[in-house]
Amino acid sequence: MPALEVHEVSVRFGGTRALQDVNITVEPGSVTGLIGPNGAGKTTLFNVVTGLLSPSGGRVRLHDRDVTGATPARRARMGLARTFQRLELFTSLSVRDNIRVAGDIRNGWGRGHRINVAKETERVLELTGLGDIAGRDVADIPTGRARVVEVARALMTQPTVLLLDEPAAGQTEQETETFGQLLGRLAADGLAICLVEHDMALVMRVSGILHVLDYGQILAVGRPEQIQNDPAVIAAYLGGAA
Amino acid sequence: MHLFLTYTIFGLVLGGVYAIAASGLVLTYNTSGIFNFAHGAEAMLGAFVYWELRYGWGLPAPVALILVLGVFGPLMGGVLYLVIMRGLRETAEVTKVVVTVALMLGMLYLSEWFWNPQKDRTVVQFFGITSQVKIFGAEVSTHEIIALGCAVLIGLGLRMFFYRFRIGVAMRGAVDDPGLLQLNGHNPERVAALSWAMGSFLAVLAGVLLPPISGGALQANALTLLVLDAFAAAVFGRLRSIPRTFVGALILGLAASYVLAYFPKTWQWASNFRVSLPMIVLFVVLIVLPQDRLRGATVARTRERAHVPSMRSALIAAVGLLAVVILLRQLMNDSDITTLTVGMTFAVIALSLTLLSGYAGEMNLAAVSFGAIATMIAFHIGITGHGLASRMTLWGIVVGVAITALVGAVVSLPALRLRGLYLGLATMAFGVFLTDMVLMDSNLHKLPLFHTKFSLFSAGAGINSLVIPPLKVGPLDLHDGTSFLVTSTIVFAVIGIGLVALRNSSYGRRLTAMKDSPAASATLGQSLLRLKLSVFMLSAAIAGLGGVMMSMALGSVTPDNFSIFLSLSLLMLTVVAGISYVSGALAGGLLSGVGFSLIVTTFHNLASNHGSVHGLFSFLASFATVSPALIGIGVGRNPSGWVHDMIGNFRTLRTRPWVLAGGAVVEVLLYVLSLTKVLGHWWFAILTFVVLSLLPMVGQMADPEGRRRRAAEVPLEMVGIDSPYDDDLRLTLDRALGIEELAPVPTSRGDRPRTAAAGGGNGRVAPPLSAGVGDAGA
Repeated sequence: MPALEVHEVSVRFGGTRALQDVNITVEPGSVTGLIGPNGAGKTTLFNVVTGLLSPSGGRVRLHDRDVTGATPARRARMGLARTFQRLELFTSLSVRDNIRVAGDIRNGWGRGHRINVAKETERVLELTGLGDIAGRDVADIPTGRARVVEVARALMTQPTVLLLDEPAAGQTEQETETFGQLLGRLAADGLAICLVEHDMALVMRVSGILHVLDYGQILAVGRPEQIQNDPAVIAAYLGGAA
Repeated sequence: MHLFLTYTIFGLVLGGVYAIAASGLVLTYNTSGIFNFAHGAEAMLGAFVYWELRYGWGLPAPVALILVLGVFGPLMGGVLYLVIMRGLRETAEVTKVVVTVALMLGMLYLSEWFWNPQKDRTVVQFFGITSQVKIFGAEVSTHEIIALGCAVLIGLGLRMFFYRFRIGVAMRGAVDDPGLLQLNGHNPERVAALSWAMGSFLAVLAGVLLPPISGGALQANALTLLVLDAFAAAVFGRLRSIPRTFVGALILGLAASYVLAYFPKTWQWASNFRVSLPMIVLFVVLIVLPQDRLRGATVARTRERAHVPSMRSALIAAVGLLAVVILLRQLMNDSDITTLTVGMTFAVIALSLTLLSGYAGEMNLAAVSFGAIATMIAFHIGITGHGLASRMTLWGIVVGVAITALVGAVVSLPALRLRGLYLGLATMAFGVFLTDMVLMDSNLHKLPLFHTKFSLFSAGAGINSLVIPPLKVGPLDLHDGTSFLVTSTIVFAVIGIGLVALRNSSYGRRLTAMKDSPAASATLGQSLLRLKLSVFMLSAAIAGLGGVMMSMALGSVTPDNFSIFLSLSLLMLTVVAGISYVSGALAGGLLSGVGFSLIVTTFHNLASNHGSVHGLFSFLASFATVSPALIGIGVGRNPSGWVHDMIGNFRTLRTRPWVLAGGAVVEVLLYVLSLTKVLGHWWFAILTFVVLSLLPMVGQMADPEGRRRRAAEVPLEMVGIDSPYDDDLRLTLDRALGIEELAPVPTSRGDRPRTAAAGGGNGRVAPPLSAGVGDAGA
């Protein structure tokens, strides 16, 4: 059973069709890649899945339950978490407090077991390798690391489905390498990850299945090596005739 | 039928003028992202300038109109944008609100300074009252036809401008993405300045058209608030759509006109109702308005920065405050004690703003109005005893505060789905409604079931005021001024400490998270509605407590004590002092509660006592009334507030203890002199202020090293923005970027020893570029 199912989702902004009948499934224990040129609709899709945007058609199912009309908060409580392409960090808090507050919010859900926020924060800091900058103002850290803070924050809610919106943008090569390993470990623990990323080397390395989005439509689905040789995908990226 | 037609036409004309004003508001909001609370005040100034030109100087109407509409209006708007509004990009919403509110108050004070409000001024309709035509038997004056014609022309004109003209299309893009606009070859600054000039022109036009329609009298306060009614119309268009704004304005105008025509004259509340109708409409529109999309922060980060004090420093500060107040008490007479107590209760009200705006990023433009609710409840259920022996009971205050919290929930609930500005508008609508309708109620009503008579806001005999006796709990009787002062200080300190504790708690972190990024908070599973509701109730409760204490300190209150202008200036001064800090609430509350009125009275007294320099002192008094507004306008330059900056400056003095000790000695000396009546206590206050301001400067002069260290604390990418950009900083930057390692640029001759980089430890490396250039020239 897929953890997340997007079924025939369409979004219209005025006359523009941002998404058209998009289908995507994300399985537990794997990384599902989502690639496509800028403006293809990847972030719009994430906004629909997390409930920040209502689709004009289609359904979103989380753990086999229809959440199309649910609030963002309710979806989060069902195990959905995300990061933002345009960083949405809590800029007046330190790195540690950015992560800790996610635990505070989780404990405010009023269901399930409460977590030991302080202990869990330190564990996540350790896991994501942010320990050295934990005390710094989040406004003052480099973009690459700020993206990792977003991932760490999302992990604090102990999600089952994690949407990552260009998490490696702005990271150094070394950081991307470490980040790829982290994704592998998280997937191995059973997390369902959907990864939007322009760093092809990273996407190809960690993804089990890849979806290609272009002009709001799914162009191709397949394993990385299939996608790499797909003529339609090559045309979309390079602009040549297929 | 005749009546209907007459009032329909009148309603359309009124609606047309509202529409002109409202479209200007929508225009500036859309191009600069700033909701201009001073829009009504601009109209008011325009009307007064027109009056001055037309009747003061006796210019013919067309010349006066050309000067006012063609020169004064656009010029005012353009200058406002270039001097003030331009600096507001990337500031928090509350900062933007406060700057325009300050502008509004400033313009109001300014008009009272130039045009004595005691004097009657009237503006006659264009072509006189007798010039009229008959439409189906109803008389319509030429002025009204002109007003309606202007509205139609402006509606059509704006529509064309936005869709047909290059600059108009650019204006629509200006607020969404100024960067993109720039890439397309437009200058966003110029586009925004132009829109402010147009907006101000529209405001002035409305200001010139309106007074003759609504009776002819020119009153600054009424005109400022009357065009505030255009807010309701603008919100009807969701602050975006000009056509819908026009529809809203027409509905509003017609409704006001029909209430005037058809409500029975026996309904005493009808005239109050008509005055507050636009605010009721505004409130209703906010309720039915569709929910705003949750968007991420529109700016990457705002310039405001707040640091959280530890519990320990909060406790020390609280004890310090209490000690200072008790020491000051020794210098004061009874009336001074009452004044300071009132100021302290204002500071308690300001704490509600610290929680709501400073911590949670929401807005309440009518904090003092919540104090009125608690006061009314406490008055009706909490008083025991009669005459001078009557006392307020704790029970009355507790119930009053609890009910205020509930009212807060009811007021905020409809607007909670919306973003900050809308909540601010809803609270303002509530505040104006409360003062215009509820607090004006001094008539006796009969409660149907219980057969008891009551009136909402009257101590009896139709007098529009309440007498609120002081609190008595056990041995504590606040009838004694000193006890009251100390108690209110303790209440402030306890709530202040509570807020710091709250800010450091899980709840406080969640508030901060919501303020910084609602979208991220929601996707982490935070129910924003519940969080906003709880913080709004808590804040309303604090405002209620402060308000009831203020009423007790004053002894007797009228609706004027809860005016919306008071709430607005309290908010303004608190933001200026630093709304994210308890210290800011203290300073803001004391300033708006007592500070400025004291300064003004002092100058006025000086003016009447010293006849020869009367002019100077009365100028200073007038200037002092405008000064808070000037300070408020300046907040755009330092949105985090000045109190925290000041404290920060003192912190650096720790490395120079002898400077601190010197200051302390001077202060003790002044205190003793004042206690022994050698020094008047005003002199004590002024000299203390001077000492406090000078100390950090003395410390800095004695400690050049500290300056560099502090500069280094500013994150590097903000250098030159948050701190001055000087040679020391350039060196620091070079070092951080590793430029000094490049310093020994390889020269062709290679005769220069490579010492610069190796000796980098001394920090005084010559700028690398100049070294290279020098070599090349050699």
